[in-house]
Amino acid sequence: MTTATNASKRREALNETRVWHVYARRKYEEPLHEIGNVMADDVELAKVYARSIYDEFSWVEMVIIPRDCIVTVIES
Amino acid sequence: MTTTALQSEEALLGRIRKQQLIESIDHMSPIYLEGMKRILTVSADTELISAPAYYHAAVHAPSLNAFGSAISIIQDELGHAHIAYRLLRDLGVDTEKLIFEREPLNFKYPYAFDIPLDSWVELIVANAFYDRAGYTLLGDVHQSTTFGPWKRALVKVDKEETFHLRHGEQGMRKLNQDNVGHESLQKAVDWMFLLTVEWFGLPDDLKKHGEQLEYGFKGHSNDELRQIWMSTAVPLCNELQLNVPAYYDETQKKYVVDCPFPAHFDAKAKHWLLEDGPCAWDDVMKRWKARGPMNEEFVGMVQRGKREMLRLLEQEA
Repeated sequence: MTTATNASKRREALNETRVWHVYARRKYEEPLHEIGNVMADDVELAKVYARSIYDEFSWVEMVIIPRDCIVTVIES
Repeated sequence: MTTTALQSEEALLGRIRKQQLIESIDHMSPIYLEGMKRILTVSADTELISAPAYYHAAVHAPSLNAFGSAISIIQDELGHAHIAYRLLRDLGVDTEKLIFEREPLNFKYPYAFDIPLDSWVELIVANAFYDRAGYTLLGDVHQSTTFGPWKRALVKVDKEETFHLRHGEQGMRKLNQDNVGHESLQKAVDWMFLLTVEWFGLPDDLKKHGEQLEYGFKGHSNDELRQIWMSTAVPLCNELQLNVPAYYDETQKKYVVDCPFPAHFDAKAKHWLLEDGPCAWDDVMKRWKARGPMNEEFVGMVQRGKREMLRLLEQEA
């Protein structure tokens, strides 16, 4: 393997590639809605990123869903 | 890089006319995609560079509470940058390269952030002026953009930018209570006001990216946004008896700048060379393109961590 390939592999390893959609709600009577997304390769980091980036409200609930698990039924 | 087949301009404009939002790259035409990348890059770079720029001044916070508020604002700004770069990545942009491998000169944020904020007073005025500019620009995008994911993401940004500019307004009111505070505010306003008037870009008759309005990236033109900013920034300064070179002209029914503008700026001295009279917008463009004194340092602060991590991994290999 060349040095250039090694360097590019190492660079790639630093880049997170899995997208997680973040859903939250502010009140118990309202449904969860999409508030954004984060990128992280593992679920624990994804949870930390979601909490720290989307801290604009005191949410009563927040969940994350990997983008690649979403199945589109009706396309917009 | 993505290989998605793009829509024709006709199909895209048809969708916009039907008031259906553009949800992903699959709905975009080549012109829309390039235009959206351009406006998102400016937005992302602006939010990102505000973090080191504000941090440079936050260290002068006069209390722990004040320091905490400033750091919280910086965290918000990084969150806003994250949102815009995430959107760019979904549009096929290699954002790691864009953020960490781009030359400082090629970053696209407003020139004002290249001038160091050297005191707590200047940070407070930056919150009142610069964050108001951000709020004006992104509030307009929030209301008018045809790009759905950005529109929804801006709920957070809108809320937090309001907090930043209120932080600036309240801070200015507090500082203005005695003469020393008033004078230091005036000194900051003297160089920061016109830099923020400039923030909104070229006047409408000289602007080249017409698709920003036609494709619904934003709702108002540069000159209209400049007016919206002045419509709250000038009254704030009037309330605090701070002199600014702008007033509301009853005859023209708009705010007018009553000093030579655009003008040459001595970045080192933080001083407008108004005695030289107005300059051409071409001169301003040259100054913007050459960037200002803090460009390399602030971009360097952002890029340093990743470089160091790569160097570490290099040693391990």
